[in-house]
Amino acid sequence: MLVNDMEVKYNGNIKELLLKLEYPLEKIAVLVNGELIKKEDWEKYYLKDEDYVEIVSLVGGG
Amino acid sequence: MMQFEIGGKIINNRLFVGTGKLPDYSIIKNMYEELKIEVFAVAVRRINTDRNKGNSILDFIPRDATIMINTSGARNHKEAVKIALIGREITGSNWVKIEITGEMKYLFPDNEETIKASEILVKEGFKVFPYISPDLIIAKKLEEKGVSAVMPLGSPIGSNKGIDSEILIKAIINEISIPVIIDAGIGKPSHAAKAMELGADAVLINTAIATSNDPLNMARAFNYAVRAGRLAYEIGLPEEKDYASASSPLHDLIKSLD
Repeated sequence: MLVNDMEVKYNGNIKELLLKLEYPLEKIAVLVNGELIKKEDWEKYYLKDEDYVEIVSLVGGG
Repeated sequence: MMQFEIGGKIINNRLFVGTGKLPDYSIIKNMYEELKIEVFAVAVRRINTDRNKGNSILDFIPRDATIMINTSGARNHKEAVKIALIGREITGSNWVKIEITGEMKYLFPDNEETIKASEILVKEGFKVFPYISPDLIIAKKLEEKGVSAVMPLGSPIGSNKGIDSEILIKAIINEISIPVIIDAGIGKPSHAAKAMELGADAVLINTAIATSNDPLNMARAFNYAVRAGRLAYEIGLPEEKDYASASSPLHDLIKSLD
């Protein structure tokens, strides 16, 4: 699957993916195929090979 | 009074600051503590694995400050709505600045798409702050949709040209009853003072502060200007005239001078 456009081989739920890739679990949001997945659903949401995952946070902006 | 009510909150500083291009996010904390700036705009972006993994701007924004989520990067109302929802999920803040870029040269906002996004986000429970080209009719339509303020641009983002459409801005200030925040193009403290003298409720400044040689002290300079402009506006500015009006008395002049 693609995570922020990087090819990642992975089988499991969103929370485990974040831990595996060493992303923070706080202050981020996760989109799967363009859909916002709420934090309380990260453990029950199992990712598929063809999923397009984006991990987003906040940056400086006007 | 520097204190005013906006977006369901009491805010004590009419200088809002955008955090883009800041050389160091720790300046945000200094602006909050030293200058009592309370509202900070931020943007939503993908985490860049090399640059900012594990390092969030949120670590530098004091908990009691107000975060305004900017939907910059959105090209239409659907993207803006999604960015707002993502931003709220991350921050818990329901203040959203709707910025929908209509074209890339001047970065002018798409007012039509902005109205659509505003309507949806007000219904979603957001406090909505639309960034618009200064157009009274658009501002009125947004007021009807229930937005918390309108944010007309002074001049293009990052241009530092100040308020280039004074008549249009003044018309909005005069004709709508929700707060007006001048956003974009304010390059100098005198521009900010001018905005406040015109009767704007607040200004949002980013580039002029963030890219200065000393952002904290430049924010301090803008802070003075905003206070000065607002105070003068509240007292009431004098009428302009085309001819002189003597300051010293013109009677009882000394007669034996020559």
